[in-house]
Amino acid sequence: MAAFAVLGALAALVLPNAGPTSELAWLAVGVAALLVAVGIVAASPAPVHAAVAVLGVIFLARHDLRLLLAPLYGAGLLVMEDLAIQTIELRGVERIALDAIGARTAARLTAVAAGAGVSAVAALAVTAAPGRSVALTALGGIAAVAAFAGIAYLARRRYRDPSDGGPTA
Amino acid sequence: MNGSLSARTPGLLALAAAGAVAGLATGRPELALLAAPFLVFAGAGLMRSGEPHLSAEIELDRTRLLEGEAVTATVRLRNDGTSAVGVALAPARTRQLVLEPSGTVAVRVAPGAEAEVRFLVRPRRWGAHALGPVVVRAGDPLGVTTWEGRVGPRLDLRAFPREQRLRELVAPLRTQPFLGTHVARARGDGIEFADVRPFRVGDRVRQVNWRATARRGALQVTDRHPEHSSDVVLLIDTFEEARDDGGGTLDSAVRAAAALARGHLSRRDRVGVVDFGGTLHWLEPAFGTTQLYRIIDALLASGIAFSYAWRDVDSIPRRVLPSGALVLAITPLLDERSTALVIDLRRRGCDLTVVEVSPLDHVAPGPSAANAVAYRLWRLQREALRARLQALGIGVAVWDDGASLGPALEGVNAFRRSARLALPG
Repeated sequence: MAAFAVLGALAALVLPNAGPTSELAWLAVGVAALLVAVGIVAASPAPVHAAVAVLGVIFLARHDLRLLLAPLYGAGLLVMEDLAIQTIELRGVERIALDAIGARTAARLTAVAAGAGVSAVAALAVTAAPGRSVALTALGGIAAVAAFAGIAYLARRRYRDPSDGGPTA
Repeated sequence: MNGSLSARTPGLLALAAAGAVAGLATGRPELALLAAPFLVFAGAGLMRSGEPHLSAEIELDRTRLLEGEAVTATVRLRNDGTSAVGVALAPARTRQLVLEPSGTVAVRVAPGAEAEVRFLVRPRRWGAHALGPVVVRAGDPLGVTTWEGRVGPRLDLRAFPREQRLRELVAPLRTQPFLGTHVARARGDGIEFADVRPFRVGDRVRQVNWRATARRGALQVTDRHPEHSSDVVLLIDTFEEARDDGGGTLDSAVRAAAALARGHLSRRDRVGVVDFGGTLHWLEPAFGTTQLYRIIDALLASGIAFSYAWRDVDSIPRRVLPSGALVLAITPLLDERSTALVIDLRRRGCDLTVVEVSPLDHVAPGPSAANAVAYRLWRLQREALRARLQALGIGVAVWDDGASLGPALEGVNAFRRSARLALPG
């Protein structure tokens, strides 16, 4: 239910300002809600992520303040995804300790806030930068590639196959 | 423990990548900004992940119980790592064990600390059941990575069948020369009066019946029947069973066997068990309480083993079926091989009684009229088989688990008295 509430809030951020594409935006929000429901029922994260993608695309329907709202909207998308995933993960759990759910929620909110912060810093940088240029695009591309390379390195270090002969996690 | 990225992580990374690429390609930085929190979230999760160092102990408040009872299993999960771990856990168990709570339990274990979770464990039926090890799924707090594994020991839990107390048992035709509670056909030292006869050389003075001597004018002695024990072999048919959600004929057969074993052992009989089916197991006849526990342990291991192999009486070792033993065949009479064995044993002169564990409670006729006719035919066939066995001198006690076994055995004793059974030799 909380995931749907966040989805509604995200839709409310876009739909009043969608202008001539509002009908399409409404349709996209409906599809996203349906995908989230399917993901929860089928206990699969893929439809949830498809819903996030759909909601991300309809953000472009908004006419103004897109750069300002993007970090908040992105964090909202992540919260919605996380709530839906938690619903799936906790389905088989019959009893949950309060401290377990508390620690989990706190850690996730902190990570979402950190993500929103990074996004906000990037938004400031984009706002301050001059118009689009090859150098700026290349810089953005390099930053993205570096971030993914870092994540790949972390994943490889954590889960290296012991048969490779290297140290195991 | 086996570590892997959780199911959501590829999706998170794909969304982040899609946002970044779309932002760069279309010149709309908003898309990259939307993707940034996903990338940060996945990176933070990976940075915080690491193999948890968990160990577990399982403690049962007792390891032996009766059918229908429950025990408490206490799972103690210890975190030997340096950071707190959120863990979803559930003890692995055999299918016949019902746990409460039945799903997983999520706990948080601080570094160097223990978390304790209690489960109520109830076996669905008798048997040797296994509980443990604990299946754990731990992960980083963001749910980006998961570690799965099994920790802790595997414990055995034995659920003994609920037994009926039997007052009436099947009286054996022949007894063994050991002190027991059955009145033997032979004559000797005992309590039960047998006859009065003239004195012979070698008779003891205490046997002289002075009243009869005074009446007849010559020395008369009293003959008595001694009290002997007998050998009893419980033959359990494990070829086939009828089963539904509420249980099966093998469950009932084991209950009946346990009750009969206890009853005969308490009367100082030697009792043995033959598990006759797809596999053959046996326990040679012996006396005493230790034998009772051996028998119950052997019964707990009973199970239906599907097999096409045709077994007959020759496959049972001779020492397991001592001469003159009373054989109690506990069978649902569903398999031709067990019926043939029963008939073969009787034709070889064995003192035999069939305890027929009724499968009727577990078999319902199908919905159609043809099914109903088939069901009636099947029941008639069973009655004809019963009549055939009785014509061979085999007492058949028809028993269903809901009723007491005593009256069924009483009926068999009445049959054996009226049939005037005789043993060769």
